[in-house]
Amino acid sequence: MDYPGLIKLLAPECVVVLTALAVLFADVKFWRGLPNGRRFGRGVTLSTVGLMAAALFAEFGENSADVLMGTLVLTPVSQFLKLVLLLLTLATVWLCGDTDFTDHVGEFLALLLLAATGMMLLISTENLLMIFVSLELVSLSLYVITAFNKRSSRSAEAALKYFLFGGMAAGFTLFGFSLLYGLCGSIHLPDIALALNTKGSDPLARAAVVMVLAGFGFKIAAVPFHFWAPDAYEGAPAPAAAFIASGSKVASFFILTTLLQSGMPGAAGSGAWKAFVPGWMPIVAILATASMVFGNLAALAQSGLRRLLACSAIAHAGYALLAVLADPPDAKPALLYYVTTYAMTLVGMFGLVSVVERGHGDDSIGRLAGLSQRSPLLAACLSVFSLSLAGVPPLSGFFGKFYVFVALVKSGPSYSSHFWLALVAIAMSCVSLYYYLQVLKQVWVGEPLGDTRPAKVSAALTFVVAGLALGVVLLGCAPELLLAHFR
Amino acid sequence: MTPGLNHYLVVSGLLFSLGLLGVLGRRNLLIIYMGLELMLNAGNLALVSFSRFNGNLNGQVMVFFTITVAAAEVAVGLALIVALYRKRQTAHVEDLTTLKF
Amino acid sequence: MLAWTLYLSFAGAVGMFLLPRENLRAPRVLALGMAVAGLLAAVGGALQHPIGGGIVVIAKQTWIPSLGADYFLAADGISLTLVLLTGVVATAGVLFSWNIELRPREFFAFYLVLIGGVYGVFLSFDLLLLLVFYEIAIVPKYFLIAIWGSTHREYAAMKLALYSFVGSALVIAGFVAAYVVSGAQTFNLLELAKFEYPREFQLWAFPVVFVGFGILAGLWPFHSWAPTGHVAAPTAASMLLAGVVMKLGAYGCLRVAMTLFPEGLAAWRGVIGILAVIGIVYGALVALVQRDFKFVVGFSSVSHMGFVLLGLATVTTIGLSGAVLQMFSHGILAGLLFGVVGRMIYDREHTRDLDQLEARHLGRALPFAAVTFVLAGLASMGLPGFSGFVAELSVLIGAWQRFPRLAVIAGAGIVVGVAYTLRAIQKAFFSGAEMPSPDPFQAGHGESAISVPEKVGAGLLIACTVVVGLYPRLLLDWIVPSFNSPLFDGLRRGAGL
Repeated sequence: MDYPGLIKLLAPECVVVLTALAVLFADVKFWRGLPNGRRFGRGVTLSTVGLMAAALFAEFGENSADVLMGTLVLTPVSQFLKLVLLLLTLATVWLCGDTDFTDHVGEFLALLLLAATGMMLLISTENLLMIFVSLELVSLSLYVITAFNKRSSRSAEAALKYFLFGGMAAGFTLFGFSLLYGLCGSIHLPDIALALNTKGSDPLARAAVVMVLAGFGFKIAAVPFHFWAPDAYEGAPAPAAAFIASGSKVASFFILTTLLQSGMPGAAGSGAWKAFVPGWMPIVAILATASMVFGNLAALAQSGLRRLLACSAIAHAGYALLAVLADPPDAKPALLYYVTTYAMTLVGMFGLVSVVERGHGDDSIGRLAGLSQRSPLLAACLSVFSLSLAGVPPLSGFFGKFYVFVALVKSGPSYSSHFWLALVAIAMSCVSLYYYLQVLKQVWVGEPLGDTRPAKVSAALTFVVAGLALGVVLLGCAPELLLAHFR
Repeated sequence: MTPGLNHYLVVSGLLFSLGLLGVLGRRNLLIIYMGLELMLNAGNLALVSFSRFNGNLNGQVMVFFTITVAAAEVAVGLALIVALYRKRQTAHVEDLTTLKF
Repeated sequence: MLAWTLYLSFAGAVGMFLLPRENLRAPRVLALGMAVAGLLAAVGGALQHPIGGGIVVIAKQTWIPSLGADYFLAADGISLTLVLLTGVVATAGVLFSWNIELRPREFFAFYLVLIGGVYGVFLSFDLLLLLVFYEIAIVPKYFLIAIWGSTHREYAAMKLALYSFVGSALVIAGFVAAYVVSGAQTFNLLELAKFEYPREFQLWAFPVVFVGFGILAGLWPFHSWAPTGHVAAPTAASMLLAGVVMKLGAYGCLRVAMTLFPEGLAAWRGVIGILAVIGIVYGALVALVQRDFKFVVGFSSVSHMGFVLLGLATVTTIGLSGAVLQMFSHGILAGLLFGVVGRMIYDREHTRDLDQLEARHLGRALPFAAVTFVLAGLASMGLPGFSGFVAELSVLIGAWQRFPRLAVIAGAGIVVGVAYTLRAIQKAFFSGAEMPSPDPFQAGHGESAISVPEKVGAGLLIACTVVVGLYPRLLLDWIVPSFNSPLFDGLRRGAGL
């Protein structure tokens, strides 16, 4: 494999990196004198061009390769997922369009794009080293953009808490990877899988499983590694929070599934009812249960929209983890459908959060009162997102959950092995309807306080939010559109 | 006696635990960062020793990259401390209480 | 043809938001247009439906190959009856809501989405599609009650939404298990009905799915959302809730739970019969002591739905047909009763307290309302000549064949039904209290007259109950033969149909 060939395979990532550098350069050199709004506008335009170009490369470039001991592995699924990530990045970048939280426009956009690059690299690898480096690239970029609102001390505090937990998780991940390497003699996932078939019950393997799950559990905000989530979601600027909630979840879940199902099937064990075998499956089952229960119960007590979304993120991480337990043919489509539509929903929600904050200064749910009369379109979009998160058909959240349940119950020796998990998930979904209806109650039933004029929102934001809402509805009514790409 | 793999692993494990204790138990942010670094370096030590005893170089190559990553992480972390200090004039983790459940 | 019922409803709902916000007339007209068009589509489909059973396939398209779910719409006699019911009640509901002034666009939009969901459930023969439509119908109910309702509306709306969602959660659990156990990779009801599920599986799956649907049908003791919800809801929503949405639950019990799990039914049938009869008697007794007029009607709905569930539990052709006919009959009558209490009386008197209404001589002030309510009351008591008689008689005959003691208790429930109906009629309309002089009801003083839309709505409902009461074969010719279809083979094999 020579360098030009490698660059061709890495075309989308290269384009995104170049865009990041271009935005940084242009901002420093040409746009310094302009007001922030104009700078963001131009930065967004330049990023859009770059992201579209990268998307074209991802769609029409090579989609099958395996280079350098699994450092770069391209499959049709991973290339499609790159498209999804680029779309989410695009939506997040457009959310920056009319914000005013920072003077460092070029840096913010560049970091966002670099985080996106890290995510794209993360999903195209089967090599422990590359996983670690990409994971850190994503994490470090996200820590920094969380702190970007220098006028708010909450932003810096959120970033610091995120960083502390993230650093710990990185330490756990690295140690776990080192144990895996030591046991199996290779950092290439297929070789590790082969070795673990015989050494799966070695104490080193068990320790490695626990460590790796601790590290990734942090990334996806599963209980008990979720402590950073409410603070990060609350303190970060809206586009940063949107990106944390969407892109990094998609990428982390994908690589977690690859790692566990392709890399460590030998250490799987079983979380079946009354047939417990030690391994990563029972641990994932426990993480999932704890996340679903804790996330939903904590959300009941929240009065701020951002913290509500954080608790719901914890709960949804639980539901998505259920897909990791399913058998391989079904696991990835179910998981990826769920996480993709969830990510779309969250970016849209954070767009709406930024509208509310711009109008009123804080994000408490009461501020939504009367939105249906001030802006029916935004109210409809909010309803679509909330109901999708609650799991109401015909929206994508419902099908995501349903497909995960089917995949989960199908796996294992009999239908009752994992059925208990599905029951917990269904019960917690009912609980979640309560707090989402409370949000919608404010929107539809509440009377607008004070300002009753139509809410003023920029065209770009409306376009993003409405587009995502439409996507959620469409993918809910015709889930095969997305499922076909994830097989 | 010749140090075998187990000795290195025990040292590595001890370093990791010390680092973890530092992160969880200390109040000053800079000391917490030192704990984080300790955890990462414990991983590095484990990698190098496995590489030596497994007989291939993958582990040592990985260590090159992880040392770099750890350095970048420290840079980011220190920048975050500076950002926080400018706002709150404190480097104590107990004073970070504005974001509450 | 029948599928147009649901397409038109959803199209109407979307179209509502294209209307200008301040116009009060346009939403009503659009809603009425869609409801009437739906009714005509239902009638048209009925005329095309062959008499003598058979399942007519309306639409069958591949939808989600990964799950084996198809967009499969079909109708047999039972679906047809219930689609007709929905068409009639929906139209009457729009007519009774002609006076809505607060945010009419949104009201009718939610209303049409609810109707669309209901049509969808009655026409779906694919389990996943049925579930989707079933849950689509939940959210509009919340908003209809929370925004336009009356007593304790936010609490009632949330209670109703959560109960319904929990019910559908149980149904989801049952469906997922049934899908996986059958190994058939399809959600097609006809295919799944052929599969013989293991007995131990049916023993738990049946009650889970039956109770899941039964919650919405007002199965005792899961019925408590119903009186609260019906009372708090605005008139048209109460009509739909008691008249049609409760039938969704009973339909689900019949169409899904009983068809897929006949052995489970055979095992649990006694319990269901007992719970149904408790519902009949309990609903009637509680209705007897209510002060709030609407609560009387609300509890009477629980009582009448008990007859439906009793009929389902008998698993005899006559009992089952009686149950379906009772679904139709009670749907019409609930619409009529809530229409009178909610629209004709509450909107004018602003009270539903029977003691206060006693002093208002409504028999003289609102003669049309009085006559309508008396007719509706007689019908709901089960008087021959109205639809309720044939339905309840069939259910009792079926019950006598299976559970003779329960049949007797249910009969006693009918007597209590007479009691609470007459009490309500007497207190609300014909009290013997002193008339003030001069008589304020001469020369057009007093309450506003019953408007034309109300009269048309009431007339439509009365006509339906009388026609079916005098010539029940109109519906029974579709209902009875539908039990001969292969869908009910399982019941013949496993539960003695």
